[in-house]
Amino acid sequence: MALSLVRWGLTCLTMILAPSCIAEDEQPDIVMVANQDVRTTSLNQDTARAMFAMRQRTWPNGQALRVFVLPNGHPVHDRFAKQSLSVYPHQLQLSWDRVVFSGTGQAPTQVMSQSEMLERIATTQGSLGYLDREHLDDRVHVISME
Amino acid sequence: MIVSTSYQWSNVGARLLGVIGILSLLATAKNADAQDIGDTLQVHGFLSQALVITDDNNFFGPSSEGGGSTQFTEVGVNFSVRPHEDILVAAQVLSRRAGGNGSEGQPKLDHGVVDYQALSGQERSAGIQIGRFKNPFGFYNQTRDVSFTRPSILLPQSIYFDRTRSLGLAADGISFYEEERLSKGVVRLQAGIGVPQTDNDLERQAFPKSNRTSIDGNTSFIGQILYEHNGGGFLAALSIADVSGDVRAYSDRGKLFFQPTVLSIQLNREKWSITSEYAIRKIESRNFDNEIINSKVIGESWYLQYTRRFNSNWNGFLRYDTMVANRNDPSGRDYEEAGSGPGHSQYARDWTMGAQWKPHPQLLLSAEYHHVDGTGWLSVQENPNPVDTDRYWNMFLMQLSLRF
Repeated sequence: MALSLVRWGLTCLTMILAPSCIAEDEQPDIVMVANQDVRTTSLNQDTARAMFAMRQRTWPNGQALRVFVLPNGHPVHDRFAKQSLSVYPHQLQLSWDRVVFSGTGQAPTQVMSQSEMLERIATTQGSLGYLDREHLDDRVHVISME
Repeated sequence: MIVSTSYQWSNVGARLLGVIGILSLLATAKNADAQDIGDTLQVHGFLSQALVITDDNNFFGPSSEGGGSTQFTEVGVNFSVRPHEDILVAAQVLSRRAGGNGSEGQPKLDHGVVDYQALSGQERSAGIQIGRFKNPFGFYNQTRDVSFTRPSILLPQSIYFDRTRSLGLAADGISFYEEERLSKGVVRLQAGIGVPQTDNDLERQAFPKSNRTSIDGNTSFIGQILYEHNGGGFLAALSIADVSGDVRAYSDRGKLFFQPTVLSIQLNREKWSITSEYAIRKIESRNFDNEIINSKVIGESWYLQYTRRFNSNWNGFLRYDTMVANRNDPSGRDYEEAGSGPGHSQYARDWTMGAQWKPHPQLLLSAEYHHVDGTGWLSVQENPNPVDTDRYWNMFLMQLSLRF
């Protein structure tokens, strides 16, 4: 507990001192990625959260949206939810269950690995997902978080 | 009588499904090249089976006899498709048995909507739903029959009454929703106008010992405003409804008005959540020739719940849940003195503790224990003679749930 607090404190300190390097040492940055046909270049956090929570069905310019996620418990999914979207993975899961079973939305498409994520994002129109920087290549388009 | 009423609703369901089908075909025809519709088709479902054991009184079947009751089963299947990027077509069929004579288990259309999300920018999104939409009421009403979305096997009965559940469940009409992203949080608004479902559970409960009761729902209103701060770390919601119906009971005619308000608050952290909801309900029967039937009662309830997530598969909870049927007579003394029945039928105080285990994302096993003082939310149908009920009683439930 104490150790994790210290780690958390250090991470925060790193964020303040060097905003360009958000992640801890061994953990590469996680970024939102989209298909090359997506014209949006940045999203604010609330909008990104609404899109990943499956409450918003299109990109801000009206283009159809397809959301891809890694499984619950995958370290990249957990870190993306907590650090980038500021939600806990269990809240995202509850949000998907609620939209699916109340007729207000659909579930995101689950992929099993980052290489599959890259492949699906690169080949699916209107796709949105996330990857750590090590898995990026120029077939996908990085969406910045405002 | 019961059977014919179910069929009647089933026909309404079938008609709605037809309308939705036609609308989705129209939408499809107009935008056939927008995207591959087949790609967007999703089918999901769930199945839950519970065992209910009580020492005294009956809940969801003959739970106090023999090895308990297995008459609590929930099965649902839904599909959804996006024929156009702004449009979602979704429907769910639900079969639910919770005690009763078995006819209640007949599949019904739980929801069936065409959802048009006209606006989806960075500051807000907004849309409308047409068809049978789920009523946004408190935190849990919209998915109350899906165990994976519940914190416990039974939702707090003081607010999510199962004995008169049909009234608040869903409505046939039109609903508007909006999400507004502000600098200090997100505000979500939903408001609907429609005809509520008034199944025979309500008829039996609201007008006991009346033969040939019927309630026809009038156009009613339901709305919810929800504030979310810090990505859902703090949630607060206010839900209000104004529901009415035309009643035939005790060979008389009149009107029933039901006006509940629920205030909901939740704190969420990684390892724990605290949830509390408070409800005030005004129930009024009016315009009956027989003055004895006309009445106006204000009921009150609240609960406080602590949920602990031990790890990603296990969580436990502790809850105190309390209700009074009439806040001018919280102990039921006046009720008892008037010879209407035992005082303890006018309230219920329920201490519950339980656990949920998810050994696999598609499998949920739950168990919980209730210690209850009062019979305020027990159904008259299962406990036909109120004098025979016990004031203090205990209940143990186990449930297995699957989903896909």
